[in-house]
Order: sequence, then C-alpha cells, then structure tokens
Amino acid sequence: MKKLASNIMILAFCCGMISSAFSAEEVTCFESRKGASEVTKRDLQPGWPNVKCSPKTGAVLWWGDPFDGTVPLGDMPLLASIPAGKAVVKPRAEKLPLLAMCGTACHNGVGPTFVPPTLPKDKKPKPLPTMEGMLPDAKNLQHGRGGIWCLDCHHVTQRNKLVDNFGDPVSFDQPQLLCGKCHGDKLRDWRDGIHGKRIGEWASTGKKRWFLCTECHNPHNVQDGARNRGFIQIEPETPPQLPKGMKNAKHELLHGVSQH
Amino acid sequence: MTPNENPAADPDQERSSECPAQAASAEPLAAAKTTTSRRDFLKAGGMLSLSSLMGTGALMAQSDDARAAIEWAEHFQGNYRLMTPKEKAEARARLEKRYSAEYAKKVTVDGTEAQPNVLMGYALNVRKCIGCRRCVKACVAENNQSRGPDAGQRIEWIQVLKMERGEFSKEKMNQGYPEGLGIQVGGNAYSPAGAVLEGQYHYEPAAVPEKDATYMPIACMQCEKPPCVKVCPVRTTYREPDGVVVIDYNWCIGCRMCMGACPYWARRFNVANPVLPKEEMNPVTHYLGNRPRMRGVVEKCHWCLQRTRQGRYPACVEVCPVGARKFGNLLDPESEVSLILARKNVFRLKAEMNTFPKFFYFYD
Amino acid sequence: MSFAPDYFRYILKGSMKFYAWMGFLAILSAIALYGFYLQNTEGLIVTGLTSQIHDGLYFANLVFLVGVAAGAVTIVFPAYVHHHKAMHEVTVLGEMLAISAVIMVMLFVFAHMGRPDRLWHMLPYIGIYNLPGSMLGWDVLVLTGYLLLNFVCGFYFLYVKYSGGTINKKFFMPLIYISIVWALSIHTVTAFLISTLAARPMWFHSVMPIRFIVTAFAAGPCLIILAFLTIRKNTKLWIQDEAINLLSLIITWCLGIALFLTLSEVVVELYARTEHANGLYYLMFGLHGLTKLVPWFWGSLIAMIVAFVMFLIPSVRTNYKLLPIASVLGFGGIWVEKGMGLVVPGFIPTPIGEVTEYYPTMIEIMMTIGLWALGFFILTILLKGAIGILLGEVRYGGAAAKPIDVASSGKTAAYESR
Repeated sequence: MKKLASNIMILAFCCGMISSAFSAEEVTCFESRKGASEVTKRDLQPGWPNVKCSPKTGAVLWWGDPFDGTVPLGDMPLLASIPAGKAVVKPRAEKLPLLAMCGTACHNGVGPTFVPPTLPKDKKPKPLPTMEGMLPDAKNLQHGRGGIWCLDCHHVTQRNKLVDNFGDPVSFDQPQLLCGKCHGDKLRDWRDGIHGKRIGEWASTGKKRWFLCTECHNPHNVQDGARNRGFIQIEPETPPQLPKGMKNAKHELLHGVSQH
Repeated sequence: MTPNENPAADPDQERSSECPAQAASAEPLAAAKTTTSRRDFLKAGGMLSLSSLMGTGALMAQSDDARAAIEWAEHFQGNYRLMTPKEKAEARARLEKRYSAEYAKKVTVDGTEAQPNVLMGYALNVRKCIGCRRCVKACVAENNQSRGPDAGQRIEWIQVLKMERGEFSKEKMNQGYPEGLGIQVGGNAYSPAGAVLEGQYHYEPAAVPEKDATYMPIACMQCEKPPCVKVCPVRTTYREPDGVVVIDYNWCIGCRMCMGACPYWARRFNVANPVLPKEEMNPVTHYLGNRPRMRGVVEKCHWCLQRTRQGRYPACVEVCPVGARKFGNLLDPESEVSLILARKNVFRLKAEMNTFPKFFYFYD
Repeated sequence: MSFAPDYFRYILKGSMKFYAWMGFLAILSAIALYGFYLQNTEGLIVTGLTSQIHDGLYFANLVFLVGVAAGAVTIVFPAYVHHHKAMHEVTVLGEMLAISAVIMVMLFVFAHMGRPDRLWHMLPYIGIYNLPGSMLGWDVLVLTGYLLLNFVCGFYFLYVKYSGGTINKKFFMPLIYISIVWALSIHTVTAFLISTLAARPMWFHSVMPIRFIVTAFAAGPCLIILAFLTIRKNTKLWIQDEAINLLSLIITWCLGIALFLTLSEVVVELYARTEHANGLYYLMFGLHGLTKLVPWFWGSLIAMIVAFVMFLIPSVRTNYKLLPIASVLGFGGIWVEKGMGLVVPGFIPTPIGEVTEYYPTMIEIMMTIGLWALGFFILTILLKGAIGILLGEVRYGGAAAKPIDVASSGKTAAYESR
C-alpha cells in the first residue's frame, strides 16, 4: 500500500512537471499602448524572435521583422508620392475585439429605432449601461474638453466605422483621415515622418511600417486629468548600473550650486 | 638558498660598504663563494619572476584549446581599415568561427562598407521624450553589450538625463549684498535665489514623465570633427565615409584617451570580460558594429551599423514609444532628418566645442 | 666586456640592511606582478575604475613619476651649464634616478592600459603610430627618448670612469644639453596630454604645463635630497653640502611658485563658480555630499605650505636633521596634489554632469605600492652601481689597475672631505 501511494505521488509529480513543460509560457508584450497593441513572442527562425520584450515593463524593445503582420496603408490624400507597398500598417481591427460585434449586435447595422435616424437633440450621450461599460468616462469625455462627443468620430449607423465631415464611413485602419481633421499640423508632420513612429527602412524611398494614430494615442483619454500630454504615463525601464563603489544615487537629489 | 650560506666569509666583508679600502676582488675565493650563493638566490628569484611573467603571458593568450589557434591569428591581425579585402574577409571569418563556438549559434560578422551618397544623421525631439529608457534597453537588446550583475559589467550606451524645473526660494529673493553697504538688490551675487538642479541619471519613479520634469537622452554624437579620433594613439577609432565614428575593437589598446576627450561621455570601457548570455546574444553582427567585444577595449554607439548599412533604422529609433527619435540620410532632402532640419528648431549639445555633431536635438 | 660582470658583482655585495631592503622591495614587487596577472585575466574590474572615472591611481602615479624623472634636470643643469662643482660630482646619480623613474612610468603605463598585450600596435610600421595628432603618441616618443638619453649619458659616463678613460666631450656634451631640454619636454607633453582635452574643464587651461614643471622641479629634488642623505649615511660616497643646499634652494623656489599657481587656480575658478569649477569644488569641499578627497586636498596643501615655510627659512633648510622632514612633506604633498588630487577630480563630474566617486580597491593600492617598490628596487641597483664606480670600487682590472682619472669627477674632493 505504501509503495503504491508513493508510486502514485511520484507519477503525479512527474505529470505535473511534464505538463508544465509542455504548456509553454506564452510571452506577450505590447508594442505601443498597453492593452491595445499586444503581440505574442514567437520565433520567426530558430533563435530569431519576432519581438524581444522588456522583463520589467512588458513593452516590445526590438522587432525581428518590422513588417510582420502588416498590410498596405490605404489611400490618403497627398500621399501619392509614396510608391505602392512602401507604407504598411498593422490593422487596428485586430486589436479591437468588440469591433466585429459593433456592426451587428445591438444595432444590427442600423441606427436608433427612429426613422429617419437623427441625432439626439441635446447631442449628449445617453446614459446607456452598454456604452458606459465600454467607456466609463463617456459622460465626461477626456478629449476636446467638452467640445466633441461620440458621434463626432463614430459613424451614427455603422458603429464599426468612424466618420468624416461628409458623413462617409472611415475605416478604423485609417484613423488619420479622421484625426487629421482637427489635428492638421500633426497630420502633416506624421505624413512626413516627423511626428509619430515608423519602423523599417530609413531611406526616404524605403519600406516602413507606419504606426497609426490610435496605436499610440487613446482617443478616449488624451487629457489624462490635468496632465494634458496626449499620453498617459508609462512605467520606465530600470536605471543604469551604479558605478563601482557607489552605494546609491541619493547624491543626485542634492542640489549642487545652490546648496554649495 | 639563503644569502648566509658561506661560513667561511670574512665577517668584515659583509659590511663592505663601511670598509674604505676593501675592493670587490680583494679576497677572490671567499668573494666568489659569497657572491655565488647570493647570485644563485637572485637567479632563482629572477627565474621565478620570469616564469610568472611567462605564465601570465600564457594565461593571457587563453589556454582553452578550441580558441587558442584562432585567437593567436586574431591577436596578430592588423588594423582593419588598412587590410586588403581578402584580409578583412579572413578576419571576419575567424570571428564568425569564434563567436559561433562561444555562443552556440550561427553568428555572422558582416563587413558591409559605407554606401555612397549617404551621410547618416539623427534628430531627437526633446519636447516628446518621456524618459522611459526603452531606447537604452532596445540598444542593449540589439548590440551585445556586457550585462552582468557586478558593478562595471553592465554597459549601456545611452544615458537619459532628467532635468527638473527649478524653483525660486522665497527666503533668498530679497537677499542683497551684506548688510551695512547700503545696497539692497533682489537675488544675491554670492548665493543664487534660484535653485539650480543639475539633473539625475538614476531616477526611478513609478511612472514617467514625471510632473515638471524633462528628459534628454545622450549617446555618441558621431561628430564631424571628433575629438576622440584625434587623440587615439593607434588610430583604432575613426570616422567612416557615411559619417559614423567606429572602433576596431581588435586594435584598441585600451588607453582610454578617447574617453577622456569625448565631451558627451559617449564611450564606455569594458573593465571586465563581457558577460553575455547565449540566449540574449544577437547573432547578426558587423565587424565595426555590434559584434561582442572583449575586456579592456572601449565601445560606444555606432548607430547600429549592422542595421543601418542594410538600410534599417537603429534599434533606439524603432522602439521609442513617443516617436521622438528620427534617423535618415542628411544628403537626401526628403529624408525625415532633412525635413526636420529644414522646418524645426534644431540645436546641438555643446556646440561651442566645435565638434559638429550629427545628432541634432529639436523641439516643436 | 668586463663592465657588466664587475658592475653586478659589486651590486650583489651588500650588508644585511641592504639585503633586507631589497628583499622587502622584492616581496612588494611580487605582489605587483600578481596584480598584473589578475588585471590581464579578469580585466580592470579588479580595480576601482569605472567608465565615469577611468583614470585612477595608476595614471596619477605615472603622471607624477614623469615629473620626478624630469626633476633630474635640477642636477644636470647646474652641473653642466653652471659648472656647479658639487653637483658635477653626482650628476650621474640624477641620471640614474631619471632612468628608474621613467621605467616606473612605463610600468604604470602597463598597469593602466586596458590591453597591454596590444601595445605593439603603437610601434611604427608594424602598427600605427599616430603622430602628430595624438598627444599620447608624443608622450611615448619623448619618454622613450628621455630613457635612452639618460641611459646613454649615464652609462657612458660610468663606463668611462670604470675604464679609466676621459670623456669625449664632443659626443657627451651635446647629449647632455639635449637631455636638459628633453626633460622639460617630457613633462610638458604629459601636461599637454590632459590639458588639451576640451571636454575636461578642470584641466583645460594653460596653467597646467607650468604647474607640472614647477611641481616636478619641487618633488624630484625632494626625492633626490632624501636619496643623497641616505647615500651619505649608508655608503662611502660623500655628497657635498653645496649640492644638497642648491637642491633645497631649487625646491624653495619651485614650491613657492607651485603654491602661487594653486592659489591662482582657486581664485579664478571659485570667483565665478561656474559649473566648470565643479571638479575643483569636489576636491576642495565635496560635491553633492561626496567628500572623499577633501581631507586629502587640505592635507596636501598644509603639507606643501609647511614644507615651503621650512624650506624658506635658511636655518631650517640647511639643518640636515629637519631637511628630510621638509622633503617628505613636500614630496608627499605634491604627490597627492598632482596625482590623485588632479587626475580623479578631472572626471568628477563627467562631461554630461554625472557625479560619482572613485574607490580604489586593495589590489589597486597594493599594485601601486608594488610598482613603486619595483622602481625603488631598480633605483637602488642603479645608484649602487653608480656609487661603486664613482668611488673607484668598481674599476677595470680591479684594485690592481691604475687610479681612475679623477680630474673630471672631482672625486679627490670627495675623499679629502672625509
């Protein structure tokens, strides 16, 4: 009996070890915005991963292939000068899990149940639990200081699309066509590569993956309280190693000249 | 083997320095016996030091069999820039062999030369930097720096400086010259009313950017008139035609004059044998770029030569989460950097040093 | 060629005191060799050097010792240009000191380099020798030249004395004159090594070369005085009072000028107290609460001032019981001020403002002591050999040979004074 019990325990132990070995940990890190740009680490070739992640913050530090998972950037005005296939993006649709449902659930592809579909008279969002569940700050949108509201950006009937000034739908994969309406100077700089982020080839005629607006900026929270920076704060990486003999860096907090 | 082996020696002779008339060869036999024993003693001492020096030499040449032959040829190779293409290829092949054995993976050491009509330039938006240090870590992920736990074993080429907004201290606002001189002025010629904050490198907050703080990363500026190149006694560091200042790590003697000459503290020294785990080693390397270095040599940022000469952005440019870093060809008017230089407010650090950096800072 | 065997036979004859001294130095040197082995296997991580402060004890000592080597000119110059009789008798001892000091410089260079096994890269034709651009290249040139000059001058003189001939002035005097000027050049170039680095504001000013020269001419003679007094006490060679007094006078002047230059640096840097003065401020008062070098600075300043005052008062200067104290204070004060007190604060803060401190390790300290011991070992051998030849105890043909031509060495005076 004792022998059987110990054998069972050994077996259970081994099974536990083997199963933990087989359930290979999936390492996920975020490319730009935490929660909105996750990517799973895998090997593109033996020893050459697609990304390297930071052990401290979980951010992507390095891309093995900058064009992994990208599609060509859609047509944009004044971008005809860029040869075809040289500008690629990662589709946003993949990172918005609810997007597929937006067009079909609740609204079934049509607007509110009045004909013709019109906007509420006071242009204020109705306190709907489903909407507030997705965006708790819906009533106090942290974008525009009360100057804009949901349907300024979201299409009124096709809820899986954004909208432009003419009422035409804009894909979530081309947010620049919408954001650039108000942020024209940023759009110009983004188009020339000065604003925003690109990875890939540095030559002006090279292939680059452009990062879309919503990959870096959360459009529902750009004010972030009183900070007003366009980004929320993020966790920094570790400081440099202290030089030999120094016990801590407290001396940096003492001011030099004024305290002599 | 002691000096006092000869009982027959005249005790007076031992104190030969105090006997005026005693010459060295006054008593040849006794003298010979005395000096022989002392000579033997000193000979033994000499042998000991000689053998220890030889042992040092042997150990310096690495006694590991697998690497001994390669390292011998590597030790006697010349300066890379002066080699013929064939010699360069041989040098790179030797290194590939050594690295592949050391890191248990296939390592390539590229030797791509500078492309024509390319002068690399870099621009960094100081208004955007949030001090997250991801550029520092991305650089380390790409460039095979030493990363051990002991002080001096972790090398990072980029340093991020945090600067705070200062403040004016109320108590000092109305302090003038010492009392009795009849002159009262705001602020003080002897002690400033404003607190000067000299900046921190080891900041560790929970989140960045912190309130009232700005950040500025600093690395090699790839100067057009580099002071480091001028002081190198063996010309191991030099400026390549595409603008990057490189180091031939196998030629560097570790004198550290370049480190003293650099006004931007861009260079780092390998005080130890580099600690680089096999899994973290980046196997795609360039001879003048990110190939693993050895102890006693100087290293620094080279704008990811192994990537930029193949046309790709440096690692720091790609990782920056706020898009503060821009890189391109200064000779191409359509490149991002050229457009920045044309449109934005651009400055360089320590311009008065006349080093003409190609790393520009700008704000918009 | 019986010179070498006779020479070494003479050196190996010595009292217990001599052997005890040499044995002690040999043990310390062995420690240095062990330290060298460690540095060449584990790297400079066994020292306290960092990327921030990358020149420490070794560089400080090598800079100081270049000065000591240059200080030999304080004997050669009066002896041959002013025909100072007492100095003339002992010039070769100054040359021996210069040789051993330059050898010590080279030892410290080996300890300081990251890859001493690659120093052949500096040889012309086999490697690359960066002249005229690199100051370090110039430094190697002038130091090697100085070593050769002193070796040739010193041993030619000794060989002539040994073999009982006369000095060929056509060959010898030009070399002497060159060596006088060359002595100035070695220390000027060493000063240029650090004073041409625009990135280091503590060093980047034109006072540096003259400061180096005057402190060299103060520290070198201090050591020479101590050596001379020791030689008087332990050997049969009597060095004239005039020689020692002239050296004291030189020290007085040079210490005075050195203190003046220190004062002027302090006033200029601290009046406006810009950030360029941070290095000096760190040395004098500490920076950001880091004060490790402050006691060293003030100690060395007090030592130098006390030494200066002692040298200034003629009755103290000529009192050979107090003179060693003044010499030790002067030597020590300058060693701190020019060595650690100049080299380390130059790196604090780094050019981009990072403030760190330097913590030399035990291995580093022992290696420094060991290399000094090795240098003194060589110095003792050289001095002993030279003294033997000067005294006539080492002569071609032994005691049976004819007496040495003493006219040009003034040895008759040495014997007569006893």
